[in-house]
Amino acid sequence: MKNRRVIPFLLLIPFMLVTAAVIAAVINVIVQGLGYIKAFGLTTFTLDYYKEVLKRPDLVQSLLVSLKIAVFSAVFASVLGTLVCAALIRCRRASGGMLTIVQMPILVPHAVVAVFTVALLTQNGIIPRILYAAGLLHNYSNFPDFLYGTSYTGAILAYIWKEAPFVAYFTLALMKSVGETLGEAAENLGASPLRSFFDITLPMSMPAISQAFLIIFIFAFGGYEVPLLLGATLPKAFPVATYIEFQAPDLRDRPYAMAMNGITLILSALMALAYALLMHRMMKKRGVRA
Amino acid sequence: MNKKKNRLLRAVLVLTAVIILVPALVIVLWSFTGKWPWPHIFPATWSLRTYEELIFGTSPLPGLLGSSILLASIVALLSTVIATMTARATEIYRVPGRQLIRYAEFLPMVVPGTVFAMGFQVTLIRAGLNDTMTGVVLVHLVCGLPYAYAIMTDMTAAVGDALEEQAQVLGASGTKAFLDVTLPQLVPGLLSSFSMSFIISYSQYFTTLLAGGGQVKTIALVLVPYIQSGDRALSSVYSVVFVGSALIVFAVFEKAVKRANRGMQQ
Repeated sequence: MKNRRVIPFLLLIPFMLVTAAVIAAVINVIVQGLGYIKAFGLTTFTLDYYKEVLKRPDLVQSLLVSLKIAVFSAVFASVLGTLVCAALIRCRRASGGMLTIVQMPILVPHAVVAVFTVALLTQNGIIPRILYAAGLLHNYSNFPDFLYGTSYTGAILAYIWKEAPFVAYFTLALMKSVGETLGEAAENLGASPLRSFFDITLPMSMPAISQAFLIIFIFAFGGYEVPLLLGATLPKAFPVATYIEFQAPDLRDRPYAMAMNGITLILSALMALAYALLMHRMMKKRGVRA
Repeated sequence: MNKKKNRLLRAVLVLTAVIILVPALVIVLWSFTGKWPWPHIFPATWSLRTYEELIFGTSPLPGLLGSSILLASIVALLSTVIATMTARATEIYRVPGRQLIRYAEFLPMVVPGTVFAMGFQVTLIRAGLNDTMTGVVLVHLVCGLPYAYAIMTDMTAAVGDALEEQAQVLGASGTKAFLDVTLPQLVPGLLSSFSMSFIISYSQYFTTLLAGGGQVKTIALVLVPYIQSGDRALSSVYSVVFVGSALIVFAVFEKAVKRANRGMQQ
């Protein structure tokens, strides 16, 4: 029985090693972002690097672009994903072929999603060609410049293509169980399917949907290859700009890149905190009601 | 009214399927394309140039596929084992502070991969692991683990330890009871945790670039420069291989999960 006390801690050793790696990375970002890199002769802590990053107009533009990509991607992917999830359940397609198709984008790497987007949406992509053949477009230059432009529409569409199915898949189990129990009970008591969905099934599925929202937001905010491959030369997405600073030939410039990583980290953490508070309040509200 | 709404929802599903499948078909066409001038809907000339480059070119396919699949398999195996161990500690042994552990499990999801990779590089260099396979495995592991934890925590809690304790009461050793009683019940979770971590590692680009320094070659690392150079035919052929191989691996695992589930019911 002595084993029973030692075993669980032995089981946790690899978990702790991996967690230590994440914490080491975070500490590096924070310490170096504050200007302390002993090996390069930088030994004073300062907020100057953060201030200078936030004073540079191009970097502020980058930050705003990345926030925009994250917000639009997460909002549209969550709404559309929830719709697809509800449709899968209502039409009794929550297993089998249709579900397999919905799962497919989860298997497709982001770099390949970028290839898809280019093939479809550049001005000589398949969609403008089809529109041209249908007589809806007179010249390819009339097709909106979704890609490589400052609007980052192409990058946002790429994220929605990949992440909306993720939301549907992530929410499916919870929404199905809620719909089959409480949702049907409401309908038996006379609620219309629409009302039972919006009043019962949707609110009860929110924990899964909002967690998926958070995951997508942080992913799109910190994502590299999608905005690199589909975005404009200026402004660059924040992580793309960060990596350029990271590669600066003078190693004593490293704190700039780390301050930028620090900003990404702070905003991601704030988002996670907001999510945690929201969940906490939601649980409490439900606990009181029940 | 109800029927009309269902028809609308069915239309949503059809549209979803079209939006998901059409890009893949276009890419397959592109991979066989010689010339495809505006405004043709189908390629004007066909060519096998890309497939020649794929097989005989600068980074021959068998080696590239082999190293990508090997890397992802190692990551998936480690991630599944670690997740199973951690879930056992929190769900069966109920270690003190397990709520804190559950939060820590999701830490890598809150730290974007780009931030982690850049922050961790110094540590990798200090440990002499930069530009090595081991370093890349470690970094991919961090990215995949939260998903493996989530799957294995649910699975372990659902299986519980009642049967295992009974086996021990009847005289089985702790190890034997775990291996013979609990482990077979965990198989569906182990397989989905493995395939999820596999896909995450297989899809990585930035983390591989940073930790591997170009020394560790994967399909993603070869693909991205082709996209940047604007060669649509070549980036399409690598995309076809990339997605095709991922689909095959996933299909094999899906089948194994089904068989495992059937085995458990018997």
